[in-house]
Amino acid sequence: MPLLINRKVVEDNWTLINDDAFSEEGAVPAGDIIVPLALFTEHKESLAARNNQVAIQVNGNDDLTQVLENLEQFPLIAIDFPAFRDGRGFSIARLLVRAEYKGEIRATGDIGQDRLAYMERCGFTAIQISDDLFKPEMLNAFEEMSNYYQSATDSVRAVYHQ
Amino acid sequence: MYQYNEVDQKLVDERVEQYRDQTRRFLAGELPEDDFLALRLMNGLYVQRHAPMLRVAGPYGMYNSTQLRKLAHIARTYDKGYAHFTTRTNLQFNWPKLEEVPDILAELASVQMHAIQTSGNCIRNTTTDQFAGVIADEIEDPRPYCEIIRQWSSLHPEFAYLPRKFKIAIAGGPTDRAATQVHDIGLHIVKNDAGEVGFEVLVGGGLGRTPVIGQQIRSFLAKEDLLSYLEAIIRVYNLNGRRDNKYKARIKILVKAMGVDAFRELVDAEWEQIRNSDLKLPLAEIERVKNFFTPFEYDEAAATDTSLEQKLAKDESFRTWYERNTVEHKEAGYRITYISLKPYLKPAGDVTDAQLDLIADLADKYSFGEVRATHNQNLVLADVKNSDLYQVWQVLAESDLARPNIGTLTDMTVCPGGDFCALANAKTLGIADQINRKFEDMDYVHDLGDLKLNMSGCINACSHHHVGHIGILGVDKKGEDWYQITLGGDDGSNAALGKVMGKSVASDEVADTLQKVIEVFVEQRFENERFIDTFHRIGMAPFKEYVYAPAN
Repeated sequence: MPLLINRKVVEDNWTLINDDAFSEEGAVPAGDIIVPLALFTEHKESLAARNNQVAIQVNGNDDLTQVLENLEQFPLIAIDFPAFRDGRGFSIARLLVRAEYKGEIRATGDIGQDRLAYMERCGFTAIQISDDLFKPEMLNAFEEMSNYYQSATDSVRAVYHQ
Repeated sequence: MYQYNEVDQKLVDERVEQYRDQTRRFLAGELPEDDFLALRLMNGLYVQRHAPMLRVAGPYGMYNSTQLRKLAHIARTYDKGYAHFTTRTNLQFNWPKLEEVPDILAELASVQMHAIQTSGNCIRNTTTDQFAGVIADEIEDPRPYCEIIRQWSSLHPEFAYLPRKFKIAIAGGPTDRAATQVHDIGLHIVKNDAGEVGFEVLVGGGLGRTPVIGQQIRSFLAKEDLLSYLEAIIRVYNLNGRRDNKYKARIKILVKAMGVDAFRELVDAEWEQIRNSDLKLPLAEIERVKNFFTPFEYDEAAATDTSLEQKLAKDESFRTWYERNTVEHKEAGYRITYISLKPYLKPAGDVTDAQLDLIADLADKYSFGEVRATHNQNLVLADVKNSDLYQVWQVLAESDLARPNIGTLTDMTVCPGGDFCALANAKTLGIADQINRKFEDMDYVHDLGDLKLNMSGCINACSHHHVGHIGILGVDKKGEDWYQITLGGDDGSNAALGKVMGKSVASDEVADTLQKVIEVFVEQRFENERFIDTFHRIGMAPFKEYVYAPAN
């Protein structure tokens, strides 16, 4: 799956895993992994024993209190967009930035071209797009609008401060 | 009225090109239908029963003559020669072609207009008092704050995919003419004990399937905190509002489920974090925007006019119109003048291209080039000299725009209903005609006084039937249209939700049933009492008893 960082497609060293990995037939892959929060909480101890990095994936249904209190523990936090219309992830990203989280904030899930600029404005530093939705022209989305009225998490200042 | 600067213009121009590309990708099969749906909604485009419908934003109801002429041109060129004013003071075209919408948006951008966020689950057009700036009882003109909210909410990156649509209304003083208590957020301009002007904030009001009156979340909010407080409320809503059921997704459901006190705690905790951020409004910015809404240079000599009195004495039709369709202006010698969009046997809120051109001409000649739309689907020329009223009336009357019915039973708010809307359960337009025929006698209707009648074709309540003094709701019963009648609703300062009178009535009985309701009112009424006041005094029982009495 293509990963965008700084508006460019880059190599992705992380593997997102799901509950299959923890089932009897499954195996947690080697390397750096992203684990959904519920699984992470459930398998905290075995995951802590790994040599590679472990990140979490959260979504709008998760209680983020614990996460926000232990931000330095995570090198990367993925925020999932389970459906196109679910906009909670935009607010979650802003909360992470406000809590001075310094790791990668990655968008995953149902992500089309038309939200890329909004994601960047809300503080996402990486955006993962599924193979079937990705097209190189998508990157134009960042340039479609050259100015905004309101401040967010990017460097744009509110129009009344410009 | 607000005028775009380079930043505003560039934003709408770029938005047009962005939407052009989105449409192109959709037509080429590159953009999935579902994704395009969300995007076209955020540009005001619905797909209706017969054709797409494009909703153009009328920011807080303000239109200038150049814009009206452009809208007339669009109606002529891209549509069937008419358009429709909505209860959100926007304007809808009912027959545009999907592939021509980008061109229409480009035409709109050329006159500082757009269709951004007129639909979709985002922050919609802020509405306000149609008398803003020209009525004596206001504390401050609310329009500068509407414009500040318009800018802040336009293309807000965090709030484009809220659980559901989000509507804000502002009243400028103690008299609520903007139905603020049935909005997601209602703002009332108030003065505190120290004499400072700020906002009382209500939250969680709304109509639709679950009508709720908004509750106070803050008794006084300083002006400079307006945006940070709105952002705090909407962030809490975005994170906590229900996403599992679109009928339970509005903020009113969240506020009700949590209780307003618990909701306020969350909002205040969030607000503490952001109130001193970039969101704090500089007073200089408020002043800058206020400069676009300063009073016009009124003609002092207008107050000495004597011609109006003479015309009123001589022409009874004119006097009837003057009494019903004009309102006292804060400047002596001027009147606030309604243009009735509720003619006899024509759809409420509709205007033709020729009427739009004519209204633009009237605005230029008699009212500083501006027109306002009201949430009851009429228009207002806010600043007409007394000495010009007769002339204005004559021109309006020739174009069927002077029916003297503002605020009366035939000034109905009616959605397009089952004839046009895919969501409707029942038709509304034929019922409106039936009522108009029944109550054709204008003298009788005038004698009945102020009476707010709202009719919606389904429980989504686009015509706000819950807050009509008399509300009519179309329901489907085994494939037939039936109509449920509510009494006692109000969207003014004493907002209330109507109560169902009894079992619904068949489509051919609606006007007769109303007639019976009115008979009870006339029978019980104290002299000059309004329908709603009689209702509050005597309650539902006498109406119910008489309307449903067995025929003998």
